Amino acid sequence: MDFDVPEELLLLKRTVREFVEGRLQPIEKQVEDDDKIPDAILKEMGALGFFGLPFPEEYGGVGAGDLGYCVALEEFGRTSAAFSNLIGAHTAIGSMSIYLGGTEAQKKQYLPDLTAGKKIAAFSLTEPSSGSDAASIQTSAKKQGDRWILNGTKIWVTNGPIADVVVVYAANDRTLGARGGITAFIVEKGYTGFRVGKVDDKMGLRGSYTGELVFEDCEVPEENVLGGTVGSGFRTALGALDIGRISLAAGAVGSSQHLLELAIAHSKRRVQFGKPIAVNQAIQWMLADSAVEIHAARLMVYDAAAKMDRGTRASTEAAMVKVFASEMAGRVVDRVMQIHGGMGYMKESPVERAYRDARILRIYEGTSEVQRMIIAEELLKA
Amino acid sequence: MRLLICIKQVPDSTTRVKVAPDGTSIVTDGITWSISPYDEYAIELALEQKDNAADTVVSVISVGGPRTKDALRQALAMGCDDATLVTGEGADTLGPLGIANALKSAIDELKPDLVLCGKQASDDDQGFVGPALAEALGWPHVAVVTKVAPSAAGTEIWKEVEGGHEVWKASGAAVLTVQKSEKEPRYPSLPGIMKAKKKEIPERPVTGVEDPVTIEIVKLEPPPARGGGKIFKDGDVKAHAAALATLLRDEAKVL
Ligand SMILES: Cc1cc2nc3c(=O)[nH]c(=O)nc-3n(C[C@H](O)[C@H](O)[C@H](O)COP(=O)(O)OP(=O)(O)OC[C@H]3O[C@@H](n4cnc5c(N)ncnc54)[C@H](O)[C@@H]3O)c2cc1C
Ligand SMILES: Cc1cc2nc3c(=O)[nH]c(=O)nc-3n(C[C@H](O)[C@H](O)[C@H](O)COP(=O)(O)OP(=O)(O)OC[C@H]3O[C@@H](n4cnc5c(N)ncnc54)[C@H](O)[C@@H]3O)c2cc1C
Repeated sequence: MDFDVPEELLLLKRTVREFVEGRLQPIEKQVEDDDKIPDAILKEMGALGFFGLPFPEEYGGVGAGDLGYCVALEEFGRTSAAFSNLIGAHTAIGSMSIYLGGTEAQKKQYLPDLTAGKKIAAFSLTEPSSGSDAASIQTSAKKQGDRWILNGTKIWVTNGPIADVVVVYAANDRTLGARGGITAFIVEKGYTGFRVGKVDDKMGLRGSYTGELVFEDCEVPEENVLGGTVGSGFRTALGALDIGRISLAAGAVGSSQHLLELAIAHSKRRVQFGKPIAVNQAIQWMLADSAVEIHAARLMVYDAAAKMDRGTRASTEAAMVKVFASEMAGRVVDRVMQIHGGMGYMKESPVERAYRDARILRIYEGTSEVQRMIIAEELLKA
Repeated sequence: MRLLICIKQVPDSTTRVKVAPDGTSIVTDGITWSISPYDEYAIELALEQKDNAADTVVSVISVGGPRTKDALRQALAMGCDDATLVTGEGADTLGPLGIANALKSAIDELKPDLVLCGKQASDDDQGFVGPALAEALGWPHVAVVTKVAPSAAGTEIWKEVEGGHEVWKASGAAVLTVQKSEKEPRYPSLPGIMKAKKKEIPERPVTGVEDPVTIEIVKLEPPPARGGGKIFKDGDVKAHAAALATLLRDEAKVL
């Protein structure tokens, strides 16, 4: 058994690292201040394949599998979370919904532009009255001739304000709930009755956009029912969320590793009481605890991603790694700020931004409580 | 047009080089290996020709041991069409003339229109292999090249000179040694990386390398540790400034 990044993914890891250090870290403050990733960078990322990591080559993807995708996201974790958030929502839940649930024709039609980064995808499940209880969505889908008519409001859709293609989950029959009652639709920007509502002002993740999507008698052609089957949307959503959760954890691992490196460097440099603060056991234990947890989370990510690549279902592992890595990231960034002292609290320090960016990890793609529910359900079943 | 780039695998520029206990080599454990930076510029220059004319074939070749394949794969991932490894016993200890001769026998068969090398390797900075290869092939050599463009009568070659550049013309095959230029080498694309992984890299035995000049490293020494520097603290700022100016002029000799 080998827990290292496989040989064939090492060059991929290194290339993403060099891109992150060469292109993204120099502009992370700018992305934060402008609340925008420059278009030229997005174009460059698209050309290099950053928007199609896990998907097979036949759809224009990189063919790196879920493990390769996670290894890349780990590297993206080393800069502003705007990048991993954009890529994550686009890839793991947006495009992935089409890849997992779409018909061959839908995959051929949509994935090549998405994997090339020419179009951006979003995943739209959450509603004002339906968050953790995702099966209770109210947005309705009614068949009318050869089209479906969507009505309702979706909120907090990552990439929603900029997306060209949105996978929208709507209730075709509210009495049926999760099994049979929810259908996924591929909605394109510009469809009649579809518009972007309020763009949210968030605590962190600046440079990544999250907002409201409004459907008012929105017309969706019959052939845009994902997979061509009515009522199977919830399964697709859960499948996409599995890889979403694992890759989100990968980003958390990369970000925490980067922060730990910053803390190590700072603690060796910063002199108080006549010696570097790193000589104090109080500091050493914070570093050591962080290293232990990062190591554990990384192995959990690789294990879950490798299972997915082998075709094994890994929903419980996905929930475990999501809850562990997101909570780990919160503890690590807190310690790292502590080690930086007042400096870490200042906007000029990347630690301040990372502290705000880490908080969302325990909330979206299923809260920590929801992950524990999933794990416990599995433990207690039968 | 068929372009061949000779690349060398060297310790990455971020490596902290340590002298090995034998005093004549460096510790190679844990080193990250890369394509020598000037060779990367040569690859970029060649790939630009391919961007402009799709029928251009860009090949890479390297002389070395098994790990040299990683460098060749990276070149494939950047967009090169094929790669050849010249290898065999002693391949990674050949001197520059031996390497030039080994490359020559491969080039005799591969028959490229132009051969590009970095102007020097970033590890030993010898700048020897390119010109030696031109000599071995009996081809002309143009140094410090920053740009090439096809022209009616062959190839136009931009060569850096003090304060500007000269444009040379090659009517036939030539060896160019490439200088850093404004266009940074491209990143390997991620699909390129995955494809490169699957590509076969043919190996050729090292032949024709008898090296009349033997270069032996007698001793390697790390540079002396840097001194602590001088800090002017407290006291009269004007006096400090005067003292600093004197030191910069007389001691550091930078003024
Ligand atoms: C920045 C951001 C980006 C987002 N991006 C997307 C996106 O791209 N697409 C999308 O569809 N959604 C997105 N969301 C929505 C996100 O998935 C939800 O916020 C999340 O699922 C939680 O739902 P909620 O906010 O409604 O909280 P609620 O469900 O109201 O939960 C509130 C609290 O109650 C707890 N709770 C709820 N039920 C239980 C229970 N049974 N037992 C114990 N505790 C419980 C929760 O754990 C939580 O602590 C995003 C949200 C944010 C903030
Ligand atoms: C918003 C803000 C407002 C402030 N307001 C004021 C103000 O009004 N007036 C003022 O004078 N100052 C003020 N400060 C400064 C504040 O008091 C210092 O930031 C604080 O005392 C910590 O010092 P430091 O930031 O230099 O961290 P450092 O002293 O460098 O400490 C870094 C880390 O090392 C640890 N550490 C240091 N020594 C040891 C040791 N021997 N053993 C174990 N651990 C150790 C610390 O606990 C910390 O975790 C303010 C700071 C901020 C951020």
